[in-house]
Amino acid sequence: MMSLGDQRVVHYLDLLWVLVGREMKILYKRSVMGVLWTLITPLLQLLTFVLIFRLVLAIEVEHYASYVLTGLLVWQWLQKSTLQATGTIIGNRALIRQPGFPVSILPVAVAVTGLIHFALALPVLLGFLIVDQADLGMALAWLPLLMLIQLGVVVAASYLLAGLNVAFRDTQHILTSLLQVLFYLTPVFYSVERIPAEYRDLYALNPMVPLLTGYRQILIEGQPPSWGSLLPVVVLVLVLLPLSYRVFERQSQRFVEEI
Amino acid sequence: MSVSVQNLGKRFRGGRRDRPPTLKERLLTWGHSRRSPGDFWALRHVSFEVADGEMLGIIGQNGAGKSTLLQLIGGVGRADEGRVRTQGKVGALLDLGAGFSPDLTGRENLFVMGIAAGLTRRQVAARVDRILAFAEIEQAIDNPVRTYSSGMQMRLGFAIAVHTDPQVLLVDEFLSVGDLAFQSKCLERIRALKSDGCAILLVSHSPEQIAGLCDRAIWLRQGEVVSEGPPEMVTQRYREEMRQETKRRTPQRAPERSASGAMLEMEHNRFGSLEAEILEVRLHPCGSLEPGEALRIEIGFRVDRPLPSPRFNVSISRAADGFICLDLSTGHASEQALIDNGTAVLSLQRLDLASGAYFVNVGIFRTDWRYAYDYHWHVYPLQITGGSAGEGVLAPPFAWQLEQGAPPR
Repeated sequence: MMSLGDQRVVHYLDLLWVLVGREMKILYKRSVMGVLWTLITPLLQLLTFVLIFRLVLAIEVEHYASYVLTGLLVWQWLQKSTLQATGTIIGNRALIRQPGFPVSILPVAVAVTGLIHFALALPVLLGFLIVDQADLGMALAWLPLLMLIQLGVVVAASYLLAGLNVAFRDTQHILTSLLQVLFYLTPVFYSVERIPAEYRDLYALNPMVPLLTGYRQILIEGQPPSWGSLLPVVVLVLVLLPLSYRVFERQSQRFVEEI
Repeated sequence: MSVSVQNLGKRFRGGRRDRPPTLKERLLTWGHSRRSPGDFWALRHVSFEVADGEMLGIIGQNGAGKSTLLQLIGGVGRADEGRVRTQGKVGALLDLGAGFSPDLTGRENLFVMGIAAGLTRRQVAARVDRILAFAEIEQAIDNPVRTYSSGMQMRLGFAIAVHTDPQVLLVDEFLSVGDLAFQSKCLERIRALKSDGCAILLVSHSPEQIAGLCDRAIWLRQGEVVSEGPPEMVTQRYREEMRQETKRRTPQRAPERSASGAMLEMEHNRFGSLEAEILEVRLHPCGSLEPGEALRIEIGFRVDRPLPSPRFNVSISRAADGFICLDLSTGHASEQALIDNGTAVLSLQRLDLASGAYFVNVGIFRTDWRYAYDYHWHVYPLQITGGSAGEGVLAPPFAWQLEQGAPPR
């Protein structure tokens, strides 16, 4: 016999599972290519960047294809999940009206869906790394930890955005523009070394900068991530996550009347 | 007590706008107070209790706060005043089938909605067969929900909701689910839940539904409880107010003669806003019958502008004292707008009324019964002749038999 607390945890996990499954199935059923689409976009982008920056602008970064693909996959998770989280409350009106439904699970489900897409793309990335003769080794064991940190970043951002969009319906448009700016402020297709030294501290305020650097240290250089630069991100997540959850919970009291 | 509501109050932000606010506007008007003066109480000073196995009816017009009340009891949203306490799992029959994803199959949606309604995955798996059998869609269960008719979707939604072991069930106008056979199945299921101790709150704007199903009723008007008690009493007071509202809306007009030659005089034997008009009422075969004969009532009407699914009502009342012997209305089934001229027909296969003088009263009402568009009271006479002349209003075919010598069975 399960205790009430256990029952609640089981139910929460079941709910998360079924909501994530719903997202995956919808994506899978909408087109023949299904989940592959989530790979095609970054691969096409990769091709563009490789062509432009190898042949036209000549950026010199070692293992450039792996370097850019890592950046694109990490970025895609952030971008897709935050955009999707923005619409998740309005898109699930019936669930929100359901008595006892934990509304705060919706942004989490979106973030976890992003995580799964990222994980599904990893074999392709590993293929690139092998072809690029990157230094794959024991450092890969750190990968889940980095994914966990990124999950925290995405969930915290999703809580804030999902709530904001109920109050202000143009959040999604504004977010699209902001993400575009942030994309160029993140070293997806260029190297951090290109940022002038005097701006680098300012630049690293973008949590995606140390995070992405960490991913590359693990995947391409075969090193453990530099904890000194990751620590602020971890602290940020630990502070922002409960805070954004609180804000969301407070706002969720009024969701039903506003959607 | 399964549900206890104490001094509940909910305030809505006023000045509802046509479209949701945007962040851009907000940033541009930074620092200006946006608090609009039009805040209003959607609910105020509402208190009641519902016991295990009790069914409470909540009646009121659109916008009276009925749905808001159900939401607060379901723990959706927060009250500004007072509190709600519920015991056990709260289930809901709100917008049935609204949460389904069209691209997923019925089975996949069943799992999503079942788990969202509070069951674990394993519990849903154990109930799938029962739910499908109840919804009568075993064959279609692995097809995408977008191929379902709206009736199938509602049936599936209903089946899921009543198989989640609720201890409190919130119902919003559920009787529009599917055909008559399915409706009676739903009713049976609701009664079974009730006898298992589930407390049920039924929201409706139909007095018949409330009076026919509930143990107790409350009447909400503009967010406040106007009346609470036995459903017959509450619905009677609700109808009374409807009559008052109709009276208020009845315009002045010179007496006129209807197509069948009857005199119609406003506020005397004719009431209503006249947004729809009854032009003619014909009784077939004629206005004089013997007990047990068939009667057809044809109502010719006209509307000036389209009216959303109004209700037709026919009653037969005794001429001497106005006692209502029969009262029949079109239900949810007639969800059809009136746009033009037309005829509504009520066929009674047999009418077993005792002999005497009666009137056929005919009306067209607003969907939510708030007031009458046109109502003719004691205009069309009906004479029943022959048959037994005793007390009472019924004269069914009958036979007496007398047996002696055998012990009573």
